[in-house]
Formats: sequence, structure tokens, C-alpha cells
Amino acid sequence: MKARSGSRLLEVKDLQVSFQGIKTVNALSGISFSIGESETLALVGETGCGKSVAAHAIMRLLPPESRMNGVVEFRGKNLLELSEKEMTEIRGKEIGIIFQNPSLALNPVYSIGHQLAEPLRIHRKEKKEKALARAAGALKDMGFANAAEYIHYYPSWCSGGMNQRFLIAASTMLDPSLLIADEPGKGLDRKCVSELEAELKKLKVEKKTALLLISHDLAFVQRLADRVAVMYAGEIVEIADSSSLFENPLHPYSRGLLNSLPEKGFIPIPGFSPPLSSPPSGCRFHPRCPLRKKQCVETHPYLIETDGRAVRCFLYP
Amino acid sequence: MFFISLKAESLSKTYGSGLLSTGKCIFREVSLEIRKGKTFGLMGPSGEGKSTLGRVIAGLEKATAGFVYYNGTPLARMKKIEHTAFRRKVQVMFQDPTDAFNPRKKIGHAISEVLALLRVPGDEHASKTEEMLITAGLPDEVLSRYPSQLSGGQLQRLALGRILLLDPEYIILDEPTSALDVSVQAQILHLLKKVQAERNTGYLLISHDEAVIRFMSDSYGVLENGRLKIFQYHTNLKTLSEDKSIKNELKFWV
Repeated sequence: MKARSGSRLLEVKDLQVSFQGIKTVNALSGISFSIGESETLALVGETGCGKSVAAHAIMRLLPPESRMNGVVEFRGKNLLELSEKEMTEIRGKEIGIIFQNPSLALNPVYSIGHQLAEPLRIHRKEKKEKALARAAGALKDMGFANAAEYIHYYPSWCSGGMNQRFLIAASTMLDPSLLIADEPGKGLDRKCVSELEAELKKLKVEKKTALLLISHDLAFVQRLADRVAVMYAGEIVEIADSSSLFENPLHPYSRGLLNSLPEKGFIPIPGFSPPLSSPPSGCRFHPRCPLRKKQCVETHPYLIETDGRAVRCFLYP
Repeated sequence: MFFISLKAESLSKTYGSGLLSTGKCIFREVSLEIRKGKTFGLMGPSGEGKSTLGRVIAGLEKATAGFVYYNGTPLARMKKIEHTAFRRKVQVMFQDPTDAFNPRKKIGHAISEVLALLRVPGDEHASKTEEMLITAGLPDEVLSRYPSQLSGGQLQRLALGRILLLDPEYIILDEPTSALDVSVQAQILHLLKKVQAERNTGYLLISHDEAVIRFMSDSYGVLENGRLKIFQYHTNLKTLSEDKSIKNELKFWV
């Protein structure tokens, strides 16, 4: 599905990722999406559906035993064909990434200031003092009152919420045009999550950064995303505008996901998601689907676009 | 019927007190009661000592002051045999199910170990295990897997199933769903409710999630600044949501 607003920044076409091992695991089987300039796209789905793999594939951070196919076009360049050296240029500078656990993503033996200044020193070859001063400035912008003091702190001295903000500051230091946030709210309590949300919103408004938000926290996604792609077992099953998806989900899985939210009364989807090494025949959701027909068991549905949204289900022609 | 409950009376916990410092007080004079077949929800921001309180009530840690009564007997004055019985009857389910299983043992092994501890004869292991899997809603094939090969939701079901082998009267649920996805969270909460209805188990549910507490609890308490404030859900959910303060909190979700 095409991005509506502005020109396209990132376009992923039929991206396939598999891990070779005793059993070949098809973590992603041909996903396609695009992100426009300053647009927020969210990838949602259960653990193990391949959301994080998609993020790591775009950044080319997957382990060597993985195989990638397809096209990841960033400003017209196919990232999958670039050399490692060219890719290093893009990482951090053009595409930033925030990893799952803020306390683990920061290096415990370097001070916050050192880690914030690092992208400036590497990509822009700035001198240490100047870079540190800029790091302090960035922290001040994030609402830390005594930023000059914080740059001498170490990650273990700070709370998870603070570390998360340091990490955002570090990843946005060079004003990347795309920021990938991989489960940014995981392991943080409610207060920290709302702080994080405010921070990301600010980033969207002030710096016009495009955001690829990966999360299973639907309420969080609803407040931030422009468009949402629902993933199930390595596939995208539905892409729609945030408002239309949350008001009127089409795919049975999207409906089930929304029904398990607290305000709908915690109605669970029966069964478990299938292992990616042996996905079920036909529609991958059919063993858990209440509306399953004979056709669903036999043939695999395509992602079909209607009225500006795409669904992978036989119910919607 | 007054004595049949798990009761905490004016519990206090202070860490690191000694000659030189007064230490840090985690909570002070906390009293609460968990009844069989009922759920008491414990809420509060992180770092307020919810988990510590849970551990004290489960007998895993000692309180600085105050008593925990189990069926009328204070924990501190129990004989060793009584204490062992208490530890069997009051179980804890932890937040992260991956930490609750030995990564080097297959699930089947982990389960049969519990059965051996309970002195269940060897020929009954298979039937007991099968019964447990049915309660937890899991297929037989999980027994031959290692914990790392299962999902968080499956492991949390197994953790609950393993606890139920001991036939506990009370379970301390320490953030049972906060490491899980929303869809899996819904499954686990329904499973917990089902188990409670079938076995009349009493729960102490520790969570920072308002919605989870509201869905599960009969009464709840908020631990803040070391004090516990207790609230009762004497009406059903619908009238509660018309209450103004809770309505405001609900807005957060809607």
C-alpha cells in the first residue's frame, strides 16, 4: 500500500528473511510496506511474528546465518545491495534505531556524555569537547534541567525511563530522517511510557522524523501512529490508517487483537500462534479463526487493497 | 470461619538498618487479608515494594515488624512441619516465566521433579502430568521441549500448571502478565479466573496495571509512600466506571 502523505522515504518490497539451522525458519515471508517523509507507521503483532526481524533487516543487523531477499529502498537506494562500509554511513546518520531494553542497549562502562557524543565524533568528525557540549545541549532539549551534570553519569546510575531518553537522544543526535523504535516501551512502567510517548511526539512535530514504531502495546500505537500494519506469523495481514483500523478492524486477527484489550473486556483469541518453521496451510490464521471456511484451509489469501486499506482475508474481495 | 484466610497484620519492612543508619523503610504497618476464592489486587507505582510485600506474605522474606497469619497461626511461630505445609499451600507465580524454569531441563523433567518431591508414585506421573496439561490448556508435545523453545504465554501457563500440582490454597501472582502480549495476557487472565472458580483458590494479584486489577479483583489496595489504602469493589464494574475518579482513569485506556 502506498504512503499517502508526501514522497516515499522507505519502501520495503517483498522482503523475505529466513534463518538456516536444523530447521529453516521463515521469519518473514514477503512483507511490503512504505513510509513517507515524517510519517509514523506502526508494526503490531504478537511476540515472534517477525516485527523485530523486519527492523533488523532494514538496518542490516541480522546474524550471518540469515538469508534476505527482496528490496529495501531508502531514498532510492537498495539497502540490501550496499557494502558494509556504505551501510555504516547510513546507520545512525540517516536511519536511527532504538532497541528494546534501554539499560542493555547503552554501554555500561562509558558515561552518558561519551555515548551521546560518539555519533557526532564518528560521523561528523567533531572534536571531543565540542561534541560533549552538543550532547549536553541535546539533553537540555529533552527536558533535563542540569544536563551538564548528567553527561558524566553512567547508565547504571539512572532509571530505565531516563536511559530510554538518553537512548533517544543518542539515536536522534544526527537528525536521522527515519527512526526505528523497536518495542521502546518494553520493560518500562506506565509513567515512563507516557514520558516516552511525549518524547516521540515531540520528535515527530519538531524534527519531522519519520518513525517505524514496533510494539505490541496497542494503546500506545493508537496514540502515535498514522498508519498501522498488523503482522501475524511473518506476514502482514492488514494495513490501514490508525483510526480506521482501531474503529473498524477487518481481518479476524486484528479484531481478536483489539478484543483482548482491557476496555473490550480481555476477550482472548483461542490457541497459539504457529511456529514459523512450519506455518499452517492456507491462511496462516485459519486454525484460530472463528470465521474459517473450507477455502481458508486450502488456499493462501493475498493482501488485497480496497478503499485505501489492505487486508489478507477471503472475506474481503 | 474467621480463621480460614491468609492475613497480614501491620507488616513493616526496612532495608539496610543498622547501628549507623535508620535504613530505608519500604512499607509501614500494612494489613490485608486474602480469602479463599477471592482476589485481592495490589497496585502501586514501581519501586514501592509491592513485590517485597508479596514475598513477605509468601514467607520468602521476613518482615521487620508485624505478623503473617495463615489459618490463624502466625508464620513466625510455626513448627518446621507446619511451615513446610504452609509453603506448599501458598505459592508464588513470578513475572517473567522464562526465569521460572531451568533452561537446561526439558519441561517434562521439570514437571516430574515436582511430582517426585510430592512423593507421587512413579506410575501416576504420566496421568498427573496429563491432567495438569489439560488444566493449563497445552498440548502434550511441550513436555519434550526446552523452556527456550516455548513462548512466554506457554511458559506462564506451565508455571501456573506446575504450581497447581501442589494444590495450593493461595497463589501470590507477582505481575503475572506484564511480560506478555495483550492477546496472551487476556488468555492467562481467563485461565486464572477459571482455575479460581474450579478450585476456590485465593489470589494476591500484584500489578501496576489498573485494568488488570479491576478485571480480576474483589477488593484492592494501593501501596503508595509505604502505606496501603484498601478499596472494595462492592458493586459491579459498570457502576464503578460511573464513579468520577475511576472514569478519569478509564479515559487513559479509551
